[in-house]
Amino acid sequence: MSVDQERDDAPIRERIRENPGPALGWLAGALLLFALEAGAVVHLVTNLLGTPVELPTLLSRDLIPNNGYQTSSGVWKDTFLGLAPAYAWAIRVVLVYAYAFVWMLWLWRGYLVFREHYRYADWTPRDDMIDRLRGHRWGQFGAVIVFGFVILALFAPALGPTTVERTISNPYSHHIEYYNDQGQLENITVGAANLGSRSQGTPDRNVGPMSYDNYGRWHPFGTLPTGKDMFTFMAAGARVSLFIGLISIGVSGFLAAAFALLTAYYKGLVDLVVVIVGDSIMSLPRLLFVMLLSVVLGDTWIADIYSGALVLALIFAGTGWPFLWRSVRGPAMQVSEQEWIDAAKSFGQRPSVTMKKHMAPYILGYLLVYASMTLGGIIVAVAGLSFLGLGINPPTPEWGRAVDIGQSYVTTSSWHISFIPGVMIVLVVTAFNALGDGIRDAIDPQSEGGEGDGAEVAATGGGA
Amino acid sequence: MLLFGASITFLVIRAGPLDPVSAILGPQGDPQAYNAIRDQLGLDQPLWQQYIDYMVNMFTLNLGESWVLQPDTSVYSLVVSYAPRTIWLGFWAVLIAIFVGIPLGFYAGLNPNTFSDYIASFGGIVWRAMPNFWLAVILMSVLSQSEKFFFGFNWEGFLYATNVTGPPPLGDLTSVDGFLKALKKIAPAALVLGSASMGNEMRIGRTAVLETVNSNFIETARAKGVPPRSLVWKHIFRNALIPLVPIITGEAFILLGGSVLVESVFDISGIGYLFFQAIKNGDMPLVGSLMFIFILLVVLINIMQDFLYTIIDPRVGYDGGA
Repeated sequence: MSVDQERDDAPIRERIRENPGPALGWLAGALLLFALEAGAVVHLVTNLLGTPVELPTLLSRDLIPNNGYQTSSGVWKDTFLGLAPAYAWAIRVVLVYAYAFVWMLWLWRGYLVFREHYRYADWTPRDDMIDRLRGHRWGQFGAVIVFGFVILALFAPALGPTTVERTISNPYSHHIEYYNDQGQLENITVGAANLGSRSQGTPDRNVGPMSYDNYGRWHPFGTLPTGKDMFTFMAAGARVSLFIGLISIGVSGFLAAAFALLTAYYKGLVDLVVVIVGDSIMSLPRLLFVMLLSVVLGDTWIADIYSGALVLALIFAGTGWPFLWRSVRGPAMQVSEQEWIDAAKSFGQRPSVTMKKHMAPYILGYLLVYASMTLGGIIVAVAGLSFLGLGINPPTPEWGRAVDIGQSYVTTSSWHISFIPGVMIVLVVTAFNALGDGIRDAIDPQSEGGEGDGAEVAATGGGA
Repeated sequence: MLLFGASITFLVIRAGPLDPVSAILGPQGDPQAYNAIRDQLGLDQPLWQQYIDYMVNMFTLNLGESWVLQPDTSVYSLVVSYAPRTIWLGFWAVLIAIFVGIPLGFYAGLNPNTFSDYIASFGGIVWRAMPNFWLAVILMSVLSQSEKFFFGFNWEGFLYATNVTGPPPLGDLTSVDGFLKALKKIAPAALVLGSASMGNEMRIGRTAVLETVNSNFIETARAKGVPPRSLVWKHIFRNALIPLVPIITGEAFILLGGSVLVESVFDISGIGYLFFQAIKNGDMPLVGSLMFIFILLVVLINIMQDFLYTIIDPRVGYDGGA
């Protein structure tokens, strides 16, 4: 949002060169914010390239550790400032969200700086849209929850009380210390400790939400039937869901926009071909077709990337673009009838430039609305697939699998295993719909939820 | 559309890496048997010939036989034995959605911005965002121990002794007893399956009513002194139904997709369950034929939708298109 796509006379770079003060000030702040977390980014990049490089990072679990043990006198060792793990964890969570919130404010400030110093026009229609969004409580509710969800996904390793590596994928290679019944310090593997902290329905074999297990480990969401920490599971699951959602929406949105522009500009045969292809994809029952594809593609190399998340994302993109395309086709057709398109044509502007500059801005808003609503549907559908055992391959956490795992414990004292993921899915999906509503009302205040048919159906994710 | 949909299905199942022969034989099949079966199933023929065979068979409704799941059973007989449960489920799911969702939506639309409207709208939004499978899991568990949660009300012993899960007994629907029994059995599953579309219908119904109420002809009618009752039923209701038609028919997709999840939770061996099993076991002809049936169904529903339009909205003619 900070850089607007308005290249009137001079490109933005030259405008900044003329008056570098405010931009430099903003950039310095952004760099400072980035420096606090640079270690995490460096770690991520070097991890992809090979051996990870560890740099000191502000919001890491090393700086504010919550794993420790309680001595017989009740004092906690190895935790942050000797606080109880619950508080240490809470401090870390609050700090992470505060950090993310400061980033949000800073980006917003960047937009204001741009608006004040570098934009030629004093007012553009976009300002009004933002003002309308600021008065839209329902949309803001959605934005807040979506913000929380995105941060949960982004900072998953730092937010969980423990890491996926330690408790889920490789529990027998890590150790914890605790005082056993005889009052001695004992060192056992995480895997062995997990066996003692299982949630299996009976009151004596259950670690509920917001409680400690026998090894002094804090479980904000309780544990899974295998004894693994559920908050860690959920945070990592949020990452997978968001990854799939964003990739598939990105790809299908790009396809939809490209096809909408092409069909609206050229009409005729191109339009007909896309209509036929799109309609035949839409005539397949989507969820069933996605299931079929995920099984068919299950053995290929592409399914190994990120435990099958990438292939799922591509499947959703491949089956989802006709729906998005249908919803932006109308606006694109309307724009293509305008006189200025005709003018641009006769003026000899290249078609690609005409589409990009004069048509795309009009359909982007609609695309955003439908994308936001579809994203919720994709999250539900992915969870549904994982519930059936088709989606993400087992070691990697996914919310739907937690619902599946906890199925038989719903009415027991381990109710949290199925219940919490379900509630979180409901919240996140509602939030994405609310955000979509908000953006729609901001872009097109007259519509008032009028022609939302496509989105209404899209939002349910084909019945998952 | 039918043609292209079927072609895509063919492409996916035949040109993809699924290998039905090894699915039949298991991983340790010897190569000779492998080749023999391959030959027998006609998989060694060129792809285009398989394609033509497939398409011709489909359009002459020669649905073939299951290869893996239940060898040598024709798809037709499988569908006949599995489909009734799904139809029974889908029927009630649609009914629940229509008879709860639409009236609620209309009520909310006729009393906009009141407390009950907010309750209904908010409920609709949340209800819609609820994943079917999760709702099914929760409902199933709660109902199977209902006396704990509903102050002694025992669902399993209510009217007839049944389990919450399992296929509905469709043996004799003609008698009152058998009918009620089957209905009770399917009710939780249908409620879950209908929930998503119920929320949709409510929201669309509400907007549709609001739009109609605020349009000019209603104002005219009101000025002419049309009594409120006839105003609501004759003028508002009928016009507000128009945008609901595609939503109701669009439910076909939702029901088909959702049936897989709901059937697997409630252990109803219906067509969605069959499809899921067929996919998992690489039973290509079964998958292909079922997909073809689904597409056929969707096309039929689309035709029905146009037909419904002409009933509800006489302005849309047969030749005008919807």
